[in-house]
Amino acid sequence: MTMSGGLSDQDWAIRLHIYGYFVARGRPPTSEEVASHFRLEEAEVRAAFHRLHDHHALFLDPGTDVIRMANPLSAVPTAYRVRVGDRGLWANCAWDSLGIPAMLDADARVEAILPTTGEAVNYAVEKGKLKADPFVVHFPLPFARWYDDLQHT
Amino acid sequence: MLLFRSEEAIDAWCKAATEPRGEAVSLETVWALSQAWYGDRISPGYRGRTLEEARRLFAKVGLTVPFWQR
Repeated sequence: MTMSGGLSDQDWAIRLHIYGYFVARGRPPTSEEVASHFRLEEAEVRAAFHRLHDHHALFLDPGTDVIRMANPLSAVPTAYRVRVGDRGLWANCAWDSLGIPAMLDADARVEAILPTTGEAVNYAVEKGKLKADPFVVHFPLPFARWYDDLQHT
Repeated sequence: MLLFRSEEAIDAWCKAATEPRGEAVSLETVWALSQAWYGDRISPGYRGRTLEEARRLFAKVGLTVPFWQR
């Protein structure tokens, strides 16, 4: 077993499985489901979840073993709904709404709600090109501080 | 990171929500950033990114003002 940044190859394999599951089903797997897939003890998988969380490779709901985010994917509804083919996925933020088609190398349609007005807007990625009004995205914090308070960003 | 129609809308939002005012980036640039940032996210070899790698990636898509290099 090799280590990279404090994570083992098995940790990274679990992370990759989580992403595949999340994309396919629109929700992240539970620790029990991951344990079953890898034929591991659930406690071992829960420990891997927490290592991945500490490494910012995914994010758990505070004080739990439940996956809340695997960027750009969100396990809870947000103001950014991304449709890829017949799948509907939630993005964590405006950036992540484009992160999903980038990650999947796929066309996508985004339905978003503007924070100031509550206006529902749409934009899309088609054949690698963005089709959108001239929107702007606000990045409140520099990268070095993104993980100080992830909900904030 | 939230979506707005204009920088003025960002200013109004930050004032109302007492949010720090950071950088406004066009959605077109955010798409370029997304491709660079997330394009390898589900590659088997993906192992995360260091602060220095992130800064180089920002510069590659034209995000070169000091905010992106802090």
